[in-house]
Amino acid sequence: MAQNLQYFLIPFLQPEMMLLIWIGVFAGIWVGAIPGLSVTMAASLLISFTFSWDINSALALICGVFVGGVYGGAITAILINIPGAPAAIATAMDGYPLAQMGEAGKAIGLCTTVSVFASFVGIVVLAVAAPVIANFSLKFAPRDFFLLAVMGLLLIGSIGGGDPIKGITAGAVGVLLSMVGMDPSTGELRYTFGNLYLMAGISFVTAMIGLFGVSEALTQFRSSGMKSPKQNLDRIIPSWATFLKYLPLSLRSALLGVFIGALPGTGGDVAALLAYDQAKRSTKHPSRPFGKGALEGIIAPETANKGAIGGAFIPMLTLGIPGDAVTAIIIGALFIHGLKPGPMLMIETPHLFWMIVSCLSIASVALMVLGLISVKPFAKIIEIPKEIVMPVVIILSVIGTYAIQNSVVDIFYMIGFGIIGYFLRLYGYATGPMVLGLILGPMLDANYRRTMQGAENQILPFLQGFVTSPISLFLTLSIVFLLFSQTATYRRWRGLE
Amino acid sequence: MRKRHPNKYTNMKGMRRMKKLCVALLLLSVMTGSAIAAYPEKNPQGYIMWGAGGAMDNVARAITPIAQQHLGKTIILQNKTGATGAIATTFVANQPADGYSLLFGAENPNLYKVAGLSQIDYDQLDPVLLMMANVGVVVVAKDSPYKTYKDFIDAAMSGKTISVGSTGPGGLAFVATTMIEKIHGMKFNKIQFDGEGPCITALMGGHIDAVAVGLLAAANFIKSGSVRGLAMISTERIPGMDVPAVTEAYKEYGPYLPWGAFFGVFVRKETPKEAFDALQAAYLKAYEDPKFDEFAKSMGGVKLGLTGDKARAYIKQNQSVSAWLLYDAGGAKFSPADFGIPRPQSK
Repeated sequence: MAQNLQYFLIPFLQPEMMLLIWIGVFAGIWVGAIPGLSVTMAASLLISFTFSWDINSALALICGVFVGGVYGGAITAILINIPGAPAAIATAMDGYPLAQMGEAGKAIGLCTTVSVFASFVGIVVLAVAAPVIANFSLKFAPRDFFLLAVMGLLLIGSIGGGDPIKGITAGAVGVLLSMVGMDPSTGELRYTFGNLYLMAGISFVTAMIGLFGVSEALTQFRSSGMKSPKQNLDRIIPSWATFLKYLPLSLRSALLGVFIGALPGTGGDVAALLAYDQAKRSTKHPSRPFGKGALEGIIAPETANKGAIGGAFIPMLTLGIPGDAVTAIIIGALFIHGLKPGPMLMIETPHLFWMIVSCLSIASVALMVLGLISVKPFAKIIEIPKEIVMPVVIILSVIGTYAIQNSVVDIFYMIGFGIIGYFLRLYGYATGPMVLGLILGPMLDANYRRTMQGAENQILPFLQGFVTSPISLFLTLSIVFLLFSQTATYRRWRGLE
Repeated sequence: MRKRHPNKYTNMKGMRRMKKLCVALLLLSVMTGSAIAAYPEKNPQGYIMWGAGGAMDNVARAITPIAQQHLGKTIILQNKTGATGAIATTFVANQPADGYSLLFGAENPNLYKVAGLSQIDYDQLDPVLLMMANVGVVVVAKDSPYKTYKDFIDAAMSGKTISVGSTGPGGLAFVATTMIEKIHGMKFNKIQFDGEGPCITALMGGHIDAVAVGLLAAANFIKSGSVRGLAMISTERIPGMDVPAVTEAYKEYGPYLPWGAFFGVFVRKETPKEAFDALQAAYLKAYEDPKFDEFAKSMGGVKLGLTGDKARAYIKQNQSVSAWLLYDAGGAKFSPADFGIPRPQSK
């Protein structure tokens, strides 16, 4: 125990590490806020950049960027309705309406506070229960990931705008587009028309930047000249009463985030979307209706994606299995620095575990300070005339898209999606479901087929799995319940109508 | 000032001569410049065909920082992923052959032609250095009933359904599994995952019975006892790994070996010799650096260090085995014979 404490204190005793964490958080906030520049990208750049450094310093910087970056995505989501990262898609649903009412400062302040809280929830779970959760997460079969993806698709009901037909259509188009490229299972080419660039598939981040970034910018040009709402910046930090009122929701979403983050291959984006849906269904009396500025609609996704940070480290540190894309890169970094990420990491280099826990904790404190300091300057962005902000958004979208995989073709995709998104909005289709389809399509496709392959393509064993495995049964029943809870019978019974 | 003006006009001839001299000097300097200006004049770009965090990415990012110290310029690394590396391969093959575009490639392009994916593969490129081989290893869960490779094969032969992980046709797992199926004349139930890491995850979670993956992905899991290594798909044991070679139990694997994935640095053919040599020298020095040794050891990679004809022969052997196995298993669109790829020869 004393030993662990000693490891925990490493960053505190090295001013250089402290400084790097703070710098990382600060840089991360900006990287996260710019659509297209992602934490994954920043982390992989940092690996080369920090090659000659001591591993502790490199990890300190990467942890800082990770925490700051996940937070940064929410800023642009709230201020200009353009999520800076996939994990902030749900945040825009209620964050932007709040900013339109002049409450951007309040929204960001609340977002910062609950983010820090959730980040600590993730860290605590990582510190005390990592091996247990890691082993449990291994039990998730392809079938269960399939069910999670189905659950995610139900979200179309929440973010699809008013018309269910339009929402489902957009979602289906998204799933269809996600199929373009090489079949993950057989290598067969789907909808590629012999074009090498279509063979590479359509990256959902590219589509996201187009559908949210450029199409939003184009839409806002229509209302250019209109005065931006005056922002009320008197009370940024939420009162204790507010914080306590939302504590149960924050804790619940954060824990959901930790767990989804700990599942290999799913990260903050899926966590945030599921948490938003969960909050929307379970909150009886939101502060305002969901989609029109409900505080719950900011709290749920933002706590979930912060919780997912600690969660993603759980399988990485205990089993050497990445919990998400960023931890996959950190594993690579450890290899390059001559360490052995994997089950031996905790045994051979036990200090790393506690040092990472400590770095994440310091990063969360840094997030509190830096996040709250920057609320006012950030909120001012919204008051800049749209004619100035939106072209900047378009330029950043282009840069960000190119930076994903240094592909000019992606820029054309992105602009294409931007234009499609603009017309979708014009005709009352929400762009969210399309992005959702693109994110969840591959998860749905690959895991359905894995399950089928596992059942040797027999329909009966395939169906049996859903009831014989306890995890699958739980998830199946949850989905049935989610569907049932939307029926008039149920709503009357619970007195929701 | 006034005094000089007339001078200028009277010296027209001199001026002209001066001009000529200048032009001549300029020409000379340009000519010698192009001849003397040593490669590299600017920062070369390195394109990694697989994503961040994968084995290819790790190898590239481990060796390049050392190599660039010897080269004297920064090699700017970026991941250019998609279509199992065909995007990056095509891209580098279409850049000028000046040694400023490097491809960090694995074995995948060897199957582009038979898979109908692309006509551009390692025939358009020259290997600067093949750094590491990734030898296949068959692993099962730690609590699996199969204690030896023979147990495992016997169970599969008895008609029991055994689910194995795969990473898609052409991937190491797929080809290795096909090799096993072909040699023993049986079939596994293949389940597709996104990569070797997810295959091991699924194995540890009990969702598949076995998987053949690259040792790079499995080494640390085997060493820690999280999974059990049954056999290396190789003719000899790998130092530091307590896993028998497959030929110890079954001699029939011989003709297909050595076979494994590899990681190398490539440039376009027709790259000027001077640039090629400079690059090769830098990468060879980095390859011999103890730091890279340490890295290779911790990852479980087998150092190759092949250049020139030896590298080419290694690539061709891999192509011959993989392409024919894939074709015989019905996973290829075109016959390797169409592209002059010979069947693996028994030795």
